[in-house]
Amino acid sequence: MTSTDARLPCGREPDALVAQVADGAGDHRDAHQRDCPYCQAALAEFDRLWAPVRAVADHRPRAPEGLLDEAMRRIRGVASDPDFGSISDVRGRTRISAQAVESLARHLASRVPGVRVALSRLVAAGGGAETSLIGGPEVTAGVAGSSTVVSITLAADLGEDLIALGDRIRAVVADGIRASTGLEPVAVLVHVDDVLL
Amino acid sequence: MSAPGREPGPGEARASAGLDEEADRWLVGRVRDGDRGAYEELVRRHRDRIYRIALRMLGNPADADDVAQEVVIQLWTALTGFGGTSAFTTWLYRVVVNRCLNHRRGQRTHDELADADHPGVPGPERRVLAGEELQAGLRAISGLPEDQRVSLVLVQLEGLSYREAATVTKTSEATVRGRLARARATLMSEMKDWT
Repeated sequence: MTSTDARLPCGREPDALVAQVADGAGDHRDAHQRDCPYCQAALAEFDRLWAPVRAVADHRPRAPEGLLDEAMRRIRGVASDPDFGSISDVRGRTRISAQAVESLARHLASRVPGVRVALSRLVAAGGGAETSLIGGPEVTAGVAGSSTVVSITLAADLGEDLIALGDRIRAVVADGIRASTGLEPVAVLVHVDDVLL
Repeated sequence: MSAPGREPGPGEARASAGLDEEADRWLVGRVRDGDRGAYEELVRRHRDRIYRIALRMLGNPADADDVAQEVVIQLWTALTGFGGTSAFTTWLYRVVVNRCLNHRRGQRTHDELADADHPGVPGPERRVLAGEELQAGLRAISGLPEDQRVSLVLVQLEGLSYREAATVTKTSEATVRGRLARARATLMSEMKDWT
């Protein structure tokens, strides 16, 4: 049974059985289908033929790594030089870009319960976190030596205690930056831009 | 695979599809003010969806990659024309689908010429995509007529309701239903040799 043009000998429309299979209801047979060999054969055949489409539906590909970066590079044009902080010890010196700190801060903040979405943006070298807030930046990070100042702008869930949320974000972000980079977050500024339903 | 074309409740739709229209709206508002950071976040949230639709519409990863990049670049300027009257994802589906259709139309002439010189060999998708079923499915879907393919991708594969798909394609729900039924019948016929 591969054609959906003609009725089955039992009188049922093949198109209806195709829809039943495509809707994932091939096993949900009505009383007639439970006793009808024609319907059962057709349903089984359509189910077999539909397997490749099911495979496509079940396939959840991720966008290739670098797709966003490449597109954003083309939007940005030539990227400006990032600002770097550095950690030195007896084994050598590690340079950490402000962009890395911002990305980390955004990631940490966005995982705090009550935060709906948090943003990030690179500030030019020498741009202080507070002055750069004019115009509404998201996460901005100023780094100098082994110190950093992070400012986060976010939308919160409606109903959150925003003061408590700010405290939680400050704690999570400061601890995370300290642990991951070795930089000392001397300030974490939290700006709640909106609350969302 | 859930039954396509049904009408999910708002909470269910958001949870199952990983959508957050309110957050999208907030981000879009900031993008329209020229905020690149908001745009990066918006794209980060939707990049897998963009790529997935492109792959399902076009049938191979190389074309899907090209179209996804084009869409990300196009959206940056196109968002100024997004009126906000529909959900961002609805508008995004329309942008990606149209881009895929244009990509395919642009390729057709080129492919017809190239095929004459280069007999069929396994393309990159054969190396990248595991599974014969998956490859057979993508191949069959990419061979559908445009209108059937769009309805099938939106409703059957992406799980949009008939109403949502009708909004994306600027047609009626009845049209979407009819095209989906024809797409299913066509696929059944095309897959008759599938074992």
